[in-house]
Amino acid sequence: MDKMKFENHYMKQFDEELEEIRTRLMEMGGKVEQQLQNAVRAVIEADSQLAEDVIKEEQLVDNMEVDIDEACILIIARRQPAASDLRLVMMVTKAVNDLERIGDEAKKIANHAVILASEDGTSKGYTEVRHLGQSVVTMLGNALDAFARFDVDAAMRTIEEDNQIDLDYKTALRELVTYMMEDPRSIGRVLNVLWVVRSLERIGDHAKNLCEQIVFVVKGKDIRHQ
Amino acid sequence: MSKPLDNLGKIRKSLNRRNRSEQLFRWYGRIAIMIGLAAVLVLFTDIVSKGNGAFRITYLQLEVNYDQELIGVDNLADPRQLAQGDWQVILKQALRNQFPDVSGRGDKRRLNALVSNGAGFDLKDRLVANPLLLGETETVWVLADDDIDTYYKSWLDGEPYAARLTDKQVEWITQLHDQGKIRLQFNSNLFTRGDSREPEQAGIRGAVMGSLLTLILTLILSFPIGVAAAIYLEEFAPKNGWTDFIEVNINNLAAVPSIIFGLLGLAIFINFFHVPRSVPIVGGLVLTLMTLPTIIITSRAAIKSVPPSIREAALGMGASKYQMVLHHVLPLALPGMLTGAIIGMAQALGESAPLLMIGMVAFIVDIPGGFSDPATVLPVQIFLWADSPERAFIEKTSAAIMVLLSFLIVMNTTAVWLRKRLERRW
Amino acid sequence: MNEANLATPAAAANAEKVEAKIEVKLDAKQNLEVADDQVTVGQCFTDAPKMTMRNVNVFYDDKQAIHNVSIDIAQNEVIAMIGPSGCGKSTFLRSLNRMNDTVESCRVEGEICMDGEDLYAPKLDVVELRARVGMVFQKPNPFPKSIYDNVAYGPKIHGLADTRVDLDEIVENSLRRASLWDEVKERLHQSGTGLSGGQQQRLCIARAIAVSPEVILMDEPCSALDPIATAKIEELIEELSENFTIAIVTHSMQQAARVSHRTAYFHLGRLIEVNPTEQVFTMPEHELTEAYITGRFG
Repeated sequence: MDKMKFENHYMKQFDEELEEIRTRLMEMGGKVEQQLQNAVRAVIEADSQLAEDVIKEEQLVDNMEVDIDEACILIIARRQPAASDLRLVMMVTKAVNDLERIGDEAKKIANHAVILASEDGTSKGYTEVRHLGQSVVTMLGNALDAFARFDVDAAMRTIEEDNQIDLDYKTALRELVTYMMEDPRSIGRVLNVLWVVRSLERIGDHAKNLCEQIVFVVKGKDIRHQ
Repeated sequence: MSKPLDNLGKIRKSLNRRNRSEQLFRWYGRIAIMIGLAAVLVLFTDIVSKGNGAFRITYLQLEVNYDQELIGVDNLADPRQLAQGDWQVILKQALRNQFPDVSGRGDKRRLNALVSNGAGFDLKDRLVANPLLLGETETVWVLADDDIDTYYKSWLDGEPYAARLTDKQVEWITQLHDQGKIRLQFNSNLFTRGDSREPEQAGIRGAVMGSLLTLILTLILSFPIGVAAAIYLEEFAPKNGWTDFIEVNINNLAAVPSIIFGLLGLAIFINFFHVPRSVPIVGGLVLTLMTLPTIIITSRAAIKSVPPSIREAALGMGASKYQMVLHHVLPLALPGMLTGAIIGMAQALGESAPLLMIGMVAFIVDIPGGFSDPATVLPVQIFLWADSPERAFIEKTSAAIMVLLSFLIVMNTTAVWLRKRLERRW
Repeated sequence: MNEANLATPAAAANAEKVEAKIEVKLDAKQNLEVADDQVTVGQCFTDAPKMTMRNVNVFYDDKQAIHNVSIDIAQNEVIAMIGPSGCGKSTFLRSLNRMNDTVESCRVEGEICMDGEDLYAPKLDVVELRARVGMVFQKPNPFPKSIYDNVAYGPKIHGLADTRVDLDEIVENSLRRASLWDEVKERLHQSGTGLSGGQQQRLCIARAIAVSPEVILMDEPCSALDPIATAKIEELIEELSENFTIAIVTHSMQQAARVSHRTAYFHLGRLIEVNPTEQVFTMPEHELTEAYITGRFG
């Protein structure tokens, strides 16, 4: 039962529709992953142009969310999916929500990147951003991979990664607070970095949600809030 | 996929052909129906044109003197005197008064032959009904002889047929006609009397009564037996070799020539059970044998046509099988069963062959009053009259056929009406 | 295969190979074969069963229609039986009130009990049984009699009403419980066949509940009805489950999902899975159930 197939329906059209929402979700995931990478890079490399691009393309992600949601509603209305099909469609509607939030967070990071790039100052905290950013990007990538293969084990491992990210986040917070205490003039700048770190942590949570959805699709068990 | 335009062309081409053949087919049907209708029309016109004369019959007007001496009665209350009295003699007297110049034995005999030899008894009946007439003189219309009747009708039609009449007799008839003393009246004898050797006195009442008694018996016997057999076979009998065997035999019986049933009746009912011959009992029994297969087959068809969902509903409600049949199947199948029974009865009414075998072909003058009185039936009466030499029987035969046909039409119409009336939609 | 074409042994061998290949392909294509030792998965049994079926086998002549089915039906439960055509669900349902008795070739083995009483015991009268286990059929089949007579028929033949007033009351109550009273109270003495399809089916339900059965069997009761009439019947089933135990066979999975508490999935005469309905329709245990309710071939 761990192998998920969304084909062999008596109605061929249904196969295609399910396949389509899956590929579109993957596309959206890829887009969001790229947004996140670019946003983190824009912060670290103080690349305001790249940050502007991220902010602009956020609209694209929003559109994708709306499109996929519509497709899911159509499937529910037309096919009345049951069992694994139903779980998949429900998962996709929730997953696009998480991805869209990730996109929002990436946009927020890009906003902070623009601010950070516009003013000179210390690059204190960037190590933390780089470190956390890398972890989060990896986690999101793992989550999307797990989704592509409906791999429960990978999803469970990815969920574990979130604990590490939370720890890293707390460490980073302490570091940043220390910076602010050491040098009150950098408070404004470090606060921006702090927002970035906070967004990264939130993205980690969303990636975790994604993985929980994968477990729900495959196993039919809701492991949220456990 | 070929080009759709091509297909359309082909379809159109074939459409013409198909429409033509459909038209042709319709015309075949119409022609077949027309042939059938024409045959029926010819039959009916032939019968009606031959038979309608029989509903009117010739009467002569005579001055009759109920002369006590001539008749030889003095007490009308004495049945023996009435029976022995010479009633014909006062008619002879009246004829002689009408034609005083007739003389010679031969002419007198021919003159007497103008009136029916049963006319005297009509006068007796009049006298008994009104004893004051004794010794008085009265102007009455008396029944003419069948030869006179035949001649007078043909003469009125403009094609005189004198056959056995002498010139003198023809002359007398012409005289009577000129005096207005001969005319056609409604032939009530046809419906009120039994058979007779004299055509002018013969009627179908005896045959109709015979048919009625026979059919009543047939219906009483065959309907319950047939329906019971059909219900058992359809609803209760296990489906096995035996029931198949019985079914095949019933179907075969329906196709057995009816005369075989007559022979069977002769052998079993008359020779073995010693039922008297020529009576409606034995006729009814034989016709029961003959109609049973028809009734069983139509009843089974009617039971089969009751939708199984009704049976399931009844059984599902906890009705026993008997209740299911009695409450639901039977009421729904009844119109079909009745139709089958009526059609079977109509068949029995028209049947003559088996009755010939059991003696219902006898010449019976008396009208049967019960199931054990000797009787004949309508189709046999027709057969007997068709066989008689007198020319006047030709129109009587056709008249009897008309009566038989109208009975059949009434019965079949009743069957259709019953079906329409009782049939329930579900 | 034409015999004439298999003149040589080589050709015959070849043909065999081809056939073997075809067979393999078929196997690969449809995993629909069920093993003989198939065990029902899920929650077949309950603590307080109204009816208990153990190792039920049903045969039509030599053909086995039901293989070794064991299941409980709980008091006041609505249990839905689903499965592809010819899976034996209707046959099984009909064996619960011995409607199969009317089919001569049908033979039922195993144990079917209601309140611990064997329904196939020789001394048990089917007439009594059918008064306790009512049935509603696929096609609405009111008797061609008046609405009143339709409902009054059961109480009449079972002698449930002593007086005309009692009978009137039973008829009114039954029609009310079947949510039909308001629609027909003005025309109780008109023909039951003059009603619409949905009303006819509710009349049939009223007729069934008029004898106060303990269990009501429904054999695809909505398959001939439009969606609105279906919705009314489904609502009715919901209400009836307060007083009756209901077993319903349906082709509509949505219907099973809507009205039933537990769902049993039949496949090729075997009971594959029994589980609470919400589980069956979100997370079925057996892959055959999964394939059926998601509309796939195995």
